Amino acid sequence: MNTLQTLNSLWEDTGFYNASWGNIVMILIGILLVFLAIRYSYKPLLLIPLGMGIIIGNIPFLHEAAYRTGIYQDGSVLNYLFFGVQKGIYPALIFLGLGAMCDLSPLISNPKLMLLGAAAQVGIFATFLGAMIFGFPMAESAAIAIIGGADGNTAIFLTSQLANGLNSTGGGIAVQNLIGPIAIAAYIYMSLVPVIQPPIMKLLTTKKERLIRMKPPRTVSKFEKILFPLLGLLLSAFVAPASLPLLGMFFFGNILKESGLTKQLATTASTILIDIVIILIGLTVGASTQADVFLKWESILIFVLGAIAFMIATAGGIIFSKVMNIFLKKENRINPLIGAAGVAAVPDSARIAHEIGLSEDPTNHLIGHAMAPNIAGLIGSAITAGLLLGFLL
Amino acid sequence: MKTLSITFDPSLIDHYTLVIAITGYCIVLIALAIMAYFFTRLHTLQDFLSKRRISEKGNSGKEVQLKVTMTGEENAAIAAALYLFFSELHDEEKYVMTIRKVSKTYSPWSSKIYGIWNTMKHW
Repeated sequence: MNTLQTLNSLWEDTGFYNASWGNIVMILIGILLVFLAIRYSYKPLLLIPLGMGIIIGNIPFLHEAAYRTGIYQDGSVLNYLFFGVQKGIYPALIFLGLGAMCDLSPLISNPKLMLLGAAAQVGIFATFLGAMIFGFPMAESAAIAIIGGADGNTAIFLTSQLANGLNSTGGGIAVQNLIGPIAIAAYIYMSLVPVIQPPIMKLLTTKKERLIRMKPPRTVSKFEKILFPLLGLLLSAFVAPASLPLLGMFFFGNILKESGLTKQLATTASTILIDIVIILIGLTVGASTQADVFLKWESILIFVLGAIAFMIATAGGIIFSKVMNIFLKKENRINPLIGAAGVAAVPDSARIAHEIGLSEDPTNHLIGHAMAPNIAGLIGSAITAGLLLGFLL
Repeated sequence: MKTLSITFDPSLIDHYTLVIAITGYCIVLIALAIMAYFFTRLHTLQDFLSKRRISEKGNSGKEVQLKVTMTGEENAAIAAALYLFFSELHDEEKYVMTIRKVSKTYSPWSSKIYGIWNTMKHW
């Protein structure tokens, strides 16, 4: 090989030679996310790993080269890291951390608020039907619909099982690999909770309803705190065994915290471990948006359907709380704003319900109440994911 | 990017799909309702058992300490009062160790400009 051929081969190996417009667009999106996170402190824990992942995943390279770089190339470093997403390992570990982090007292002290978390799951099932109408196969429709749960981890878990590019549809055609678009849509809608939910909350409630003061939650005993994860695990696992990787880890994490005897384990799960997993999941999900896989019309449709699912879920929680108020005594009435926290975006949607309540009455603190449907939404969306897996696999 | 081929056909929702959607939603609702019902009853049961225990102890003639249930607001008020009380305490040393910066006055003996290595360069 002469010098000219060597130089030519080197040139063909560079990103400049292999760049496509898709790569450039995705890199710009990645830079935008990093910019938003750093300049406006907008969800930095989520957007910096995601944005950097998008940039890393879209650096153009020669696909035929002997070395392995791309996230979808077997044996590459990124591919190994992506394994945790593809097999649903990272979501399970994040659920462990969440369990060790969450105080379930608001839920135990006012158990009827669990129904709001269940009601908000209507977004998932309605969008499941909607995605079917738009021609997505059943497995892909279920994976898209789970965006309505507003929990990125559940969405990744279900998609990794149903729309992973490996299974086949009823007609024997392989399902698409939708992990990238669905994970990105779910995470983006989670960070857009303060934008999407308030208009729906204001539209569906009257000023009088937003001013409702709820009865302060009662003190919860340690016995109840320990019993809840045990019974919650047994009940949810018996109803939807496929949700076990998520809910098993969640309740395990919670009992580590509540037992009071395994403080180190709970602290590790809720700090160091969850941080490591967030780094890996953010980076690899971002890197999975390689332009040739991600830039498709289906991705745009997934984003639209995901937004609809999220809006229906929010509305479902609010409307259900209003229906509950019809049957409740005056002193037990629920502020319908907390119905919007029935989606699983913990704790963002609870915080939004609290802030809107404060904007109406600066002395009405709803955060303690809103956390209950929020956690119930997390449990509900994991049960829903388990049920969909049970139906479709 | 692939060509746009979006279909919109409500007939794609078959009987099986509807069963999945409706049954699935009902199951989630019922599962969480059962959990809610159980924990509502559990609290009532706990109250009943603690009252019974108290009455049994009462019959035995021993002194009984009543279990006090406080609301979240009362807890918050107590916590705030304790916080204010402890933040007013000044009789304890701080546990944070700091390194006091010592500024030295200049002396030609410690000067780096006139150090021996710098002078050697001119030789």
